[in-house]
Amino acid sequence: MKKLLVICFLLISFLGFGQSVSAPDSKSFLPSTSGQDASGFVLSGFNSTSTLLASISLVNPPSGTTFVLNTTTGLTAASGFILSGNKTRLVVTGTMANINTALSSLKVNTGSVRGNVVLSVAATVNPTGYFYNGTNGHFYRPISTGATYTNARTLASQQTFKGQQGYLVTITSADEDAFIFNNVPQNTIWFALTDEASEARWTIDAGPEAGTLIKINNGQLNGNIPGQYNNWAPGEPNNSGNEDYAVTKWNGSQWNDLPNHFVNPYVIEFGTWTNPDDATFTEFYTNSVIHSNGEVLTARFNFDFGGNVDETKFSAKANTYVNNLWGTTTNTSRSISGLGKVDITNDLDTTKITDGIRATIVPGQVEWSLINPYETSRNGHRLQIDERVFSGTGINLNNIKYVKLFDVYEGPITPMDFNGWWKQWVVPGDINLTSKVSASSFQNNIRLQDGWYAFRADYSFTPNTMFKQHGIELSYTNQTDLNTLYNNIVTVSDVFIAFKELSNGGIFGNQSGLEFTNGIQYMNADVDGNGVFNEADTYKLLQHLTGVAPLTQYSALTYLMKLYSKSEYDAITKTNWNTQFNSTRSLYPFNLNSGTLNNTYNVNVTWVGDVNLSHSAQQSVSGVATNSMRTMSLSTQSVSNQINAYLMGENVGGKLIVTISVDPLQQELVGTQFNLNYDNTSLKFEKVEFTTKGTPTNFGTDRGSYITLGSLITDGSTTLDKTTEYKVTFLPLIGLNGTLGLTSVSNTDAVNKNGTQLKIKVN
Amino acid sequence: MKKILFIFVILLWGCNKLDMPVPTPPVEKIFNVGESSVTNGQSIYFDLTSNTIHYLTLIDKNTGQVISREKFIGQIGENVRKIYTNSLPKGYLYLVLEDVGKNELKKTTIIIK
Repeated sequence: MKKLLVICFLLISFLGFGQSVSAPDSKSFLPSTSGQDASGFVLSGFNSTSTLLASISLVNPPSGTTFVLNTTTGLTAASGFILSGNKTRLVVTGTMANINTALSSLKVNTGSVRGNVVLSVAATVNPTGYFYNGTNGHFYRPISTGATYTNARTLASQQTFKGQQGYLVTITSADEDAFIFNNVPQNTIWFALTDEASEARWTIDAGPEAGTLIKINNGQLNGNIPGQYNNWAPGEPNNSGNEDYAVTKWNGSQWNDLPNHFVNPYVIEFGTWTNPDDATFTEFYTNSVIHSNGEVLTARFNFDFGGNVDETKFSAKANTYVNNLWGTTTNTSRSISGLGKVDITNDLDTTKITDGIRATIVPGQVEWSLINPYETSRNGHRLQIDERVFSGTGINLNNIKYVKLFDVYEGPITPMDFNGWWKQWVVPGDINLTSKVSASSFQNNIRLQDGWYAFRADYSFTPNTMFKQHGIELSYTNQTDLNTLYNNIVTVSDVFIAFKELSNGGIFGNQSGLEFTNGIQYMNADVDGNGVFNEADTYKLLQHLTGVAPLTQYSALTYLMKLYSKSEYDAITKTNWNTQFNSTRSLYPFNLNSGTLNNTYNVNVTWVGDVNLSHSAQQSVSGVATNSMRTMSLSTQSVSNQINAYLMGENVGGKLIVTISVDPLQQELVGTQFNLNYDNTSLKFEKVEFTTKGTPTNFGTDRGSYITLGSLITDGSTTLDKTTEYKVTFLPLIGLNGTLGLTSVSNTDAVNKNGTQLKIKVN
Repeated sequence: MKKILFIFVILLWGCNKLDMPVPTPPVEKIFNVGESSVTNGQSIYFDLTSNTIHYLTLIDKNTGQVISREKFIGQIGENVRKIYTNSLPKGYLYLVLEDVGKNELKKTTIIIK
């Protein structure tokens, strides 16, 4: 047993299990402030006596942002680095304990330029003979024994290190060039750049950039391709004596061309990524954290489109609201992924505008301010300030829109009325007042009284600066596609359910309210957006279905789509749908909040007329007794929710006739819909003939490249039976003999008397 | 020597080029391969053993739904149909040859791109 334990211990030690770098949580730094705490990175699991290599770096920091290690005991700076002073990158060697001590003293200095502050720490057991570049996360191994260029290129490609195949070093930036210069002791070093294939066309011939042309003429600056890094010495390259290969650190820090037969030192590079965080070295441990310099700089969205809608057909643009108008911040249109995700961070307008007055409340001598416990009716806390504070300031109290209350609260406030001497504002939401006060550094100036807190305070007032109101606006690839999408979203089952609800149980029995199980369905059925669901809405729905008139005045996304935050969406109920959430929009407004990191906005999508939510996001189950028409109906139906249809196309007398026959099986069928696509370059629609029992509303609408056809019975007079048949006639624009595929069926829908959406199996 | 060359040139000049028959490549029958990519307007070939009513049916491979069916009277031997893809969904479809009783005779996969 002991042997087994020893073997396990040795195995674990050998494999290095448990070694890691942990990162702190994200935080927000103050702009233009030095020495802000950035500790929290911890190395663990390494052998305590091993010498480790650790890289600490700021990845693409905002201008003016640096870091410093206040404690560097026991550390040695890697070549090219010094331990002291402010920097954006530092590579050190030392024991795990020494490095952890240094990391606990890590401080960040911010400048006035705001942005994300990405700190990355990487660690590994220090490999002898290799140099680590903290900027790209690559290792470099100098070979001093030297070789011809072509041999160096071959030998480099035969090396592996920490699971990565080597290649003759490529130099693609001034930073990398400087890294080689500072870390590799030898001079005149081959690197992967040649014009052997075509004179003066200098091309990288190794590594991830192989094939990249960087220069098309000889001479120091001639033909240097913009955007590609070149660093030739004066007069070079000159092809003097057929020189086809490049060296760096030639006569200083620049490049020259030399012939192949020179035996020069070279460097092998390991790593193909550009971001150190993407490193996949074995036994190499890295972690990073995204802090921010002062303000929010991310805006990521998760759109929930529900089922059967292709999110990738949508794109998004950032907007701001200025002078009562929405306008795009850039012309950049960002595609939405298949998961409904889109990031518009780079399109945000981060300039600030002045709006109202900002009050800063700091410790003083008199209890001029009070803050009350959270009040549900106000959805916030009442903040009260004695109006005599403002005496002589000339400030309009209603212009106070932002407050910093000691270290208890900082953010927007909304003015309300007076209560005696007390001018009142609402601090929005529940700020967890008691815990905020308990954690305050100003206990001596705060007094608890009957649940409210009094503050001995002084005041200063400055203009309030804030981000502009932002919005994300969706658009669709083109209008034709949008029309097709929308026609598929609002189908016969939606229309039937709306009629059924309107009937108030008078026709089909007392089932009122079972169909519309929440406010979203009412809202979607209120297609004219007047806050009432009535006959006019069902009439418009029927007009849309039968192709008589579009559902809304304009077939534009703005009028068809509704976007709500997930919390707003879930809060829509039967009782509030018509008063609180009755607008339509394809633009979703959102706020950039100061001090918040990594903003992610969850947005639910719903469509006007999609009464059964078959194409919209589903509400969260919590708080809704049953939110699905189909789920409800399934629980009461014992038969399969399927009907059959039979399809046939035939050339009859020189016309193409497509027949669709319907078999309801056991269903009490009251609505059917088929989309029959046709090749409009070969066929011209002539007519649809209906064979149906009773007097249903039959519809057959030509929409240019497809026919929407079907039947709907809204009065309960009958049901569709096995005799139901639709015969569509097309006139040929080409010879019909010997053709195939001129028509096809898609997007079927059906509904039974209970309002259950049915699947049509086309045979 | 000059005479010989002259006669040789005359002979060459007098020769007619032979009209060599150009072999027609055999047509690939659609049901003889497991999978074919088709384009709009492409002709497809297949053989029938009777000149009776047949059906060509297209089925969405993902959903199993029949999306198109054409009734025709075939001819014994090789038959040709021109397939139009503008109204067909992109992706994989089954092309099924059925007899008058809707019995499946042959089946293959076609890819609409």
